[in-house]
Amino acid sequence: MHNINVFSFFTDPILRAPTIGCMLMCLGASLVGVLVFLKKQSLIGEVLSHAAYPGVILGTLLAGFFSIKASEEMQLALFALIGALLTSFLGLWLIHLLQRRLKVTSDAALCFVLSTFFGIGLTIASEVQFTFTTLYKQVLTYLYGQAATMTDIHIFIYGALALLLSLLILFFYKELQLTIFDAQYAKSLGLKVDVFNGLIFVLVTLAVIIGIRCVGVVLMSAMLIAPAVAARQFTERLLVMFFLAGCFGMFSGFLGVYSSVVLTEYFYLYSPQSQFNLPTGPMIVLVASFLCLLSLLFAPKRGVLIRLIRMISFRYDCIGENVLKTLWRNGATLPQSLSDLARYQASSKLYLKIVLWGLMRQKAVQKNPTGSYFLTKSGFSQAERIVRLHRLWEVYLVEYLDVGAERVHKSAEEMEHILTFELERELTLLLNDPQKDPHHQPIPPMRSLYVSSSDAS
Amino acid sequence: MYHLLMQANPYSNLNFFQFLWQLFIRAALFIMGKIPFDQLATDEIQVGVLAGIAISSAMVGCFLILRRMTMLANSLSHTLLMGIVFAYFFSTNKQMGSGASMQAMIVASLIMGFITAFLTEFLSQTAKLQEDASLGLVFTTFFALGIVLATLLTRSAHIGIEAVMGNADALVLSDLWWVYSVLFFNAILYLFFFKEFALTSFDSSLAVALGFSPIFFNYLLMVQVSITSITAFRAVGVLLVLAFMTGPPLTARLLTHSLLKMVLGGAIIGVISAILGVAITRHMWTVYGMALSTSGVVVCTIFFLYFAVAFFTPGRGLLSQMRKGRLSSLS
Repeated sequence: MHNINVFSFFTDPILRAPTIGCMLMCLGASLVGVLVFLKKQSLIGEVLSHAAYPGVILGTLLAGFFSIKASEEMQLALFALIGALLTSFLGLWLIHLLQRRLKVTSDAALCFVLSTFFGIGLTIASEVQFTFTTLYKQVLTYLYGQAATMTDIHIFIYGALALLLSLLILFFYKELQLTIFDAQYAKSLGLKVDVFNGLIFVLVTLAVIIGIRCVGVVLMSAMLIAPAVAARQFTERLLVMFFLAGCFGMFSGFLGVYSSVVLTEYFYLYSPQSQFNLPTGPMIVLVASFLCLLSLLFAPKRGVLIRLIRMISFRYDCIGENVLKTLWRNGATLPQSLSDLARYQASSKLYLKIVLWGLMRQKAVQKNPTGSYFLTKSGFSQAERIVRLHRLWEVYLVEYLDVGAERVHKSAEEMEHILTFELERELTLLLNDPQKDPHHQPIPPMRSLYVSSSDAS
Repeated sequence: MYHLLMQANPYSNLNFFQFLWQLFIRAALFIMGKIPFDQLATDEIQVGVLAGIAISSAMVGCFLILRRMTMLANSLSHTLLMGIVFAYFFSTNKQMGSGASMQAMIVASLIMGFITAFLTEFLSQTAKLQEDASLGLVFTTFFALGIVLATLLTRSAHIGIEAVMGNADALVLSDLWWVYSVLFFNAILYLFFFKEFALTSFDSSLAVALGFSPIFFNYLLMVQVSITSITAFRAVGVLLVLAFMTGPPLTARLLTHSLLKMVLGGAIIGVISAILGVAITRHMWTVYGMALSTSGVVVCTIFFLYFAVAFFTPGRGLLSQMRKGRLSSLS
């Protein structure tokens, strides 16, 4: 085969259709995916795509009855699309019926409809296999999707549908936003919420029936979920989320097609006698899931890894502050050995050593030649501030929240690490700068604030 | 189709009622010991396997529905594909389906079951993702990975299609053995732990207070789902077993309020669907020459049985609901 570069995917007459077609489909699916993700109905796509399967096959069967040949792609695609649309709606209606009239729980209703519709689809497919053998191949492509056989006609049909979908979302943006986030408020504004909920279902159905051609019925739901989840990691705003999800979707569409073509080529070079095509649909889904995984792990603010780092550093700070407190409480100038300190901390000695090393670098603690640790001047004032926060909080709890003095210690033990300078000032003003805590311990004076604020910043 | 090859099949050229009658007679003969085990006809193996799957699935499915865990079962059935591919990869006989030994597949399916449950839990707990989104994400990813791996290993996408659709015509006697072993396992579990399963399904906080861990029974149920689906996969494919798990119990649920009756009723309805399904398939082949997929027809039967019952159930059915609605609108 000829040389492939990235741009040839958009210009090459064979590659152009699958690439652009997949990107358009993924765009539509990811935009709608945002809607269902925020409505917390992500699995509706799974049901709809399975419910569309018998429709696709019925459409193909009908096309066979009207003796449409496999080469007349326009008619064939339209038959399949209309069939898919009809059975998807039937599936939706049945779910509604099961939940409302027959009191079936929602997950069981979804599962029942998706599996039985899929079964009905397979039954009809086995019929097609024997009566219209030439069309059976077409039917199979809808199971896992096959972008490679798409032509410019498909781009036209699916592109028009994807455009319609995006325009609908754009046009009803405000209404959809209201319906998703605050249906009660939307109702009070006189918005017909039911109509827009219906519109969302129509949009999902459209996206699904567009998408199953390239991703397949079994995997379609991934294209609704993964881009939306990835986009949610980066933003709190709906418009940005739509934009990001669309970008992620298009990117996975492109990279899915690209990698399946390039890898197939590569394997062909590696062992020419093996003849297989990497299916496009699963590749697109893998790319989308990978993107999603990356953003789940590494997104700023919401990523798992970032949150983990924040947790670890908070724990590190807490232990450090506790160490200072312990040194302060056991006599400010008295040096203490590592094992003495370890007795009061819920951490291993190794971890404590790391914390102490960090404190020494901050010049809060010094080590004398015998291996014992003692507070420096700045360490002393830091420790005093923590104790002050602890005791202030205890006073606050007792005086304002009527908590018994014997029960305040635990809460204060946590709050001392969280209270900021502003809160400290507020508390001091509110409580009239108390001198004693509920346990009659002296509260270190405010002076420490200015000392430590200067070296903390 | 195997029907064409097996001229000795006592069921060839029978229509629906003749099939049922023949099945009845041969079943009676089989019980009396007149027909040896290894001379069962293909149709009988199909009925046997499908009925066994139906009973196992009904038992498991009742509790899945009560615990609202059917979607987890759905995602498990998708991820099983990965397990099948791995079992295939690590087995010596490289012929898909029959090649990978059932033991290997059961082990692989259990591992995949745990990974699925664990990852879904991880995504929703640690990554703070909505539960349904994390379910959808996990199983689609694994399924895609499974298909890509299967394509790479077998050099064709055929195995993926076979695993999803199943092939009831390729069943052999050893399938019967495995299906009934799993059925036996499930039955034994419920015989001993029925009360515990019921308790943890209906009132998990009371169960905790009494010292039964709902989490343990959740995982036990997932184990049952895994092995039930993996033994069912050769006959009905990994996805259609869900219809066996949800359809008959939901049908039984329409007719009764008692858990025990729901489980038993679900099993009976499942068996009836299996027999009717195979009979209809045979009928369609004999009379119309249509070679329908047996497992598909059974699922269709389950579907129509459900709606027949839902329509005509006295008191709560759709028909009486409609009649009541009309009466109230008149008065």
